[in-house]
Amino acid sequence: MSAPTMEERKACWAARDEFWRCLDTHTEDAPRCEKLRRSFESLCPQQWVKYFDKRRDFLKYKEKLETEGFHPAETDGKS
Amino acid sequence: MALALLPARCLRRLPLRPPRLLPAPSRGLSGPRGGPPSALPLGRRVAVVAAVGGAAGGAWLYLRARKERERRERRRRELRALALGQGDFQLVDHRGRPRCKADFRGQWVLLYFGFTHCPDVCPDELEKLSRAVELLDRDAALPRVQPLFITVDPERDDVAAVGRYVRDFHPRLLGLTGSPEQVRAVSSAYRVYASAGPKDEDGDYIVDHTIIIYLLGPDGLFLDYYNRSKTADKIAESVRRHMESYEPLLD
Repeated sequence: MSAPTMEERKACWAARDEFWRCLDTHTEDAPRCEKLRRSFESLCPQQWVKYFDKRRDFLKYKEKLETEGFHPAETDGKS
Repeated sequence: MALALLPARCLRRLPLRPPRLLPAPSRGLSGPRGGPPSALPLGRRVAVVAAVGGAAGGAWLYLRARKERERRERRRRELRALALGQGDFQLVDHRGRPRCKADFRGQWVLLYFGFTHCPDVCPDELEKLSRAVELLDRDAALPRVQPLFITVDPERDDVAAVGRYVRDFHPRLLGLTGSPEQVRAVSSAYRVYASAGPKDEDGDYIVDHTIIIYLLGPDGLFLDYYNRSKTADKIAESVRRHMESYEPLLD
């Protein structure tokens, strides 16, 4: 299986970006972006889909840390 | 001291002269009009201060230059001791020609390790590397930089695959591959971390690896490195500075 060409890479990235923009607009409401998700999965190798999903999780987590700050487990009632 | 030898009444009547510490000027000990030599005239004082100030400034500049030279010398010793990338490598370029380290002696090289199945980082870094080389190409006075790509995935990235990959970047970008042993040897020579991830049902996998662009000088040794956060402009600027101040590391 040969590596994606530059055109294929760009098509994959574009589909990913569209899908992510949809998630941004609908605040991570995945079902609403189903069609774009499928397009993204068809244009990108499976390994890349997994990689980008993890990347998205990481970016969202980072954003959360930057806006909300770090709160260790609040079971003791303190933050 | 001489004054102490005079009888007490003489001291009261004679004008007090300051002890002669400075060598007498050629005009004689007394001042320009023959009167008592008080402190030096203003012009002389300014000249003395200027001379002292100039000497101090000169000393400071000399010490600063010496400190800079020592710092550079220390860095050269460290790089030589680190000897990153020393030792030969035997690889094959994307046109199928065997290439060894010596082929690049005398050239400035910007080197990136990556793999063709890379989702986004490698294309980004190679674009950046290409752009930096383009910026440097614009200055006709500088030697041409040789951009180099070495795969960390020799199992999949054969000559043809590397050839297809490097076509999309700078025209001078040379791709190198080889047997797994040869690639492992060059990766470890450059302290590059590379680890293939789990394969999926298509046999596809992602190789986790160090994301760094290395600058090698004409003697083939590592001079500097640039991580993801360095822009093409910053890289070009840094390479230019290295070129301008280059001294061979190996004797």
